[in-house]
Amino acid sequence: MHKVIRQMTQLSLQTPLLATTTSITSSGSVAKLLAVVPTTTITQTGDCCGVHTSAASGGGSGGLCAKWNKHNYGPRRWLEYNKTVHPPQETEEEPRKAYVCHMRSNIKYSPDKMWYIAAFVRGMSVDEALKQLNFVLKKGATDVKETILEAQQMAVERHNVEYRSNLWIAESFVGKGRVFKGLRRHARGRFGRVEYKHCHYFLRLEEGEPPQHYYAPEPQTPQQQYEHWLQQMRSRKVINSL
Amino acid sequence: MPRILLLSIKTIIGNLENLFAMVKGSPPALAMIMSDRNNPTTQTFSLKDVIGDGFLWAVPKHRRSVEKRLNRKFGFPEYVWKPLKEKRNLRSCLKCGHEHELGVLCSFCYDIVRKETHQMQEKIQESLGVAPIDQEVVVLYDGENDLSPEALKGSRVVEIQKPRPMWFTKNLLQKSTQQSADTKEVKPSDLG
Repeated sequence: MHKVIRQMTQLSLQTPLLATTTSITSSGSVAKLLAVVPTTTITQTGDCCGVHTSAASGGGSGGLCAKWNKHNYGPRRWLEYNKTVHPPQETEEEPRKAYVCHMRSNIKYSPDKMWYIAAFVRGMSVDEALKQLNFVLKKGATDVKETILEAQQMAVERHNVEYRSNLWIAESFVGKGRVFKGLRRHARGRFGRVEYKHCHYFLRLEEGEPPQHYYAPEPQTPQQQYEHWLQQMRSRKVINSL
Repeated sequence: MPRILLLSIKTIIGNLENLFAMVKGSPPALAMIMSDRNNPTTQTFSLKDVIGDGFLWAVPKHRRSVEKRLNRKFGFPEYVWKPLKEKRNLRSCLKCGHEHELGVLCSFCYDIVRKETHQMQEKIQESLGVAPIDQEVVVLYDGENDLSPEALKGSRVVEIQKPRPMWFTKNLLQKSTQQSADTKEVKPSDLG
């Protein structure tokens, strides 16, 4: 038990994945894009590993020790959506909007707290989201911002998006990640349980202008409400009447 | 969860046993209080000792309704709104282009100034140490030998081997407060 708590303190922080993007060629693979620079900070007793390797390819893993979590791939289904091949469209049809699904798994942050940031960013244009996230004083905001930037880059390079500003956040939600449990002492010989929570952050960017109202049903103007009421009134029928 | 319950029960039982055990030296302070209250001869313990100790006090009695849960999650619109609100008072800095809040210095521009200040401070500490500053400290950058030795007479000079940054003009160091007096003689009318 003490070993677990001691090793928890040796978890190294994730370095920004964007640091390595300058050296990427056009034929760079996904793993290369998201290879993390090895950390130089926390390698004290050498009990736990100091070097982070991106075990999961597309999503990028957060603050989990690779030595203890080689079996933990995290969610993989979200990134499968990127690989779907849509059938060719008719000429008359409107061109399908380009989208990109991205995620970051096992961020060392509580999912309930991360929910506020994910809900905040939903339905915003990418530029606006990045601007606003600079002034959100929460720990998860840095992870969300990095994820958005990565997704934007992926969209431009691999998902046929012409302008990187022409993206908006179609889906943004949080999932529960690994939870490590520990103990802490209280007075009178009592013990309290401590939970070291992690979360996954999922993101989908879509090309185009963001909608005026993200959540349906849209709030109706008085004119629309009146028309709706009028329609209801006129469609009434007295049953079994002439 | 049940494991912790068992652990706590075991520890409480163990503590209670310790309180009533005969120790060579003086028994623990708490034991004196406990033994005064209860009968020292009785070895049994009632359920009151377990519950009265506060063990089962902080336990939820009823399930939290969805309304309560939502109130905690969202707060109340006009008083405490928990979800994040968009900031409307962001403007882009005219100098560097980064965003900053209205009425607050641009963090990027200020960072440049802060770093320069830090460098100056390090240099001062390096050359002058922690000695008390009774004279003015003048920091000279590369190639600033224009000042006459008279001007630098009553001050300690610290040199930095760096060109002067473009934004660091001389007038920034002018004192905006009242100048110190030249003479030591003060008229009685000038005294407070």
